[in-house]
Amino acid sequence: MRLADLRRTTSFRLAVLFLLLFGVATTLLCSFIFMQTRNYLDRRAEEVLREELFPFRGLNAAELHQLLAAHVAMDPHARRPITLFGPDGAYLAGSQLGSSHFQIMAEPADRPFAFTLQRDGQSVQFRGVALTYPGGQRLLVAQDMAGAQAFRGLLLDSTLWGGLATVVLGLIGAVAAGVGAVRHIDRITRAVRGIVRGDLSGRLPTRGHVRELDQLAHEINFMLGEIERLMEEVKGVCDNVAHDLRTPLTRLLAGLERARRRAASVDEYEAAVDEAMQEIRGLLKTFAAMLRIAEVESGARRAGFTAVDLTQVGADVVEFYEPMAEQKGVALGISDGASVPMQGDPSLLFEALSNLVDNALKFTPSGGRIDVRVFSDDGGQGFEVSDTGPGIPAEQRDAVQRRFYRAEQSRHTPGSGLGLALVSGVAGLHDMRVRIEDAKPGCRIALVGPRGLQG
Amino acid sequence: MTRVLIVEDDPKTAKEIMAALSDHGFAVDSAGTGREGVLKAAAESYDAIVLDRMLPGGLDGLGMLATLRSAGIETPVLILSALSGVDERVRGLRAGGDDYLTKPFDFLELTARLDVLLRRRSSAPQRETMLRVGALEMDLLTHTVSHAGKPVELLPREFRLLECLMRHAGQVVTRTMLFEEVWNYHYVEPTNVIDVHIGKLRRKLDPDGSRPIIETVRGAGYILRAAG
Repeated sequence: MRLADLRRTTSFRLAVLFLLLFGVATTLLCSFIFMQTRNYLDRRAEEVLREELFPFRGLNAAELHQLLAAHVAMDPHARRPITLFGPDGAYLAGSQLGSSHFQIMAEPADRPFAFTLQRDGQSVQFRGVALTYPGGQRLLVAQDMAGAQAFRGLLLDSTLWGGLATVVLGLIGAVAAGVGAVRHIDRITRAVRGIVRGDLSGRLPTRGHVRELDQLAHEINFMLGEIERLMEEVKGVCDNVAHDLRTPLTRLLAGLERARRRAASVDEYEAAVDEAMQEIRGLLKTFAAMLRIAEVESGARRAGFTAVDLTQVGADVVEFYEPMAEQKGVALGISDGASVPMQGDPSLLFEALSNLVDNALKFTPSGGRIDVRVFSDDGGQGFEVSDTGPGIPAEQRDAVQRRFYRAEQSRHTPGSGLGLALVSGVAGLHDMRVRIEDAKPGCRIALVGPRGLQG
Repeated sequence: MTRVLIVEDDPKTAKEIMAALSDHGFAVDSAGTGREGVLKAAAESYDAIVLDRMLPGGLDGLGMLATLRSAGIETPVLILSALSGVDERVRGLRAGGDDYLTKPFDFLELTARLDVLLRRRSSAPQRETMLRVGALEMDLLTHTVSHAGKPVELLPREFRLLECLMRHAGQVVTRTMLFEEVWNYHYVEPTNVIDVHIGKLRRKLDPDGSRPIIETVRGAGYILRAAG
């Protein structure tokens, strides 16, 4: 990680931007407070001056001199000087203002003014008010502003230090945020490179400093999970296609070779050809089923959706399979119900339900029963098939919906292992879910979709 | 003799189809491109055309079909296609095709469907009220069936199954055709379930097995014969 990277991170830039904004706002606020405080202090000082001036109005000379003498005694260092000047501006009585020349007569009467005096080699700021007596004499009431000045300095200093601390802390924060973001991105980059190299089980780190980034990483991880699942399914399908096709092809070849070797009569040859044709039909059926699943999963058949009554489809399927169930000694029934309309592909729904009934017939022993139920309630609408067969163990319920999956115990029953994959494809096409439950005993498979979605 | 034109670009497939159709008793001609197909179909009169959807050159199967229909040539056309989607089938039928068959197919399925097309053409649909095949009689108004004078009780679906077989008496009716006509769903593999239905129907028509009238055609379907 280089400094240039840091400077480019959004976190860092945002932090600096906020720092700037905050700085400007703080400066404005502090200036305002500073001005207001200063004005307030000035006004307050002036009021005090006026109040102090008040007792000196309308006094005769004797009273005035007495009062001045009392003041000098109280304030020997002339921090709050009160001085009487003659009409020519010469000192008459009261506090000594020191050596500096001060033109009291030039200042306006009854209005506060500022002036500076030299004291012990230092300039000291004063604020004063003058009162003019009828004889032309002038009384100055003034106040040393050193205290106010010190306060002002303190205020300015604290504002500046505070500002500096804000800037430093803000910059540290910005760098920290930027570094965090850069590190997080680095971790994500490493994870992505790992995935690109082929480790599909890798996931993006989701515990960084940036919440939004974490959320995004979560979503991407979910997507990666899906991709991994699909890749594994594709791999599984390829393995199974290879296996499931090799077996009948081997049988086909063996049968033909046997005919070539042994068949002596036309009848024997014909039998071998028939056998070969049977194998090839089976192979073609498997291919057709795979293509159909691909077609269904691509969603292209949604274009052919029409209004379908699930109850009618259910009744048709049950009627279609009735003779077969009868032959097997299994009771096949459908519960009566009101019509359940939806938008869909009637042939595919028929095929999906047929597959379920067909499976149930395959696995239900003689004397058992299979119930088809078309339902529409608060939980959704759809159909379910329950049987009294061996059921599907909980851990295999997801697997049976995959292409070519065949439970160990059903390896030797006829079938392509594609039936439930097709059912699950048809369900997906119709926004339905496949739900496999334990019917105790037996198995209950339902296709459930949102209720009345398409009315 | 029934004359059939095959429009198919793959010579080997064309040869096999021609062989199968001649074995079935048809006189067969072939064309390799859509253009050649249009010229032949316009110049001579065929009873049916078997048309491959995918053809090389500018004119594909559906294009050729549209050209024929716009020229007023109403020869029944059976479309062959490797495209199995239902929407493809609908497109083919909409373009003027009379039937649609997905490759790969059984030749028995092809000939059975051609027979149906030819029959449909030769006998204009009439409002029949009685179907008769040999000793078998079906009253379409009262929904009653009798065999050799004895009434036969059939469920509604069995009635329609038998009606379909009787309408195509003497012809092979494949399982897929039966399923599409009787159950009205398009579904590729209903096979052995149909057999059970037929088995039940057979037992009702001929309880003691003395006069079998529905024959099984191996690997393909059924045929109802006008037996004595």
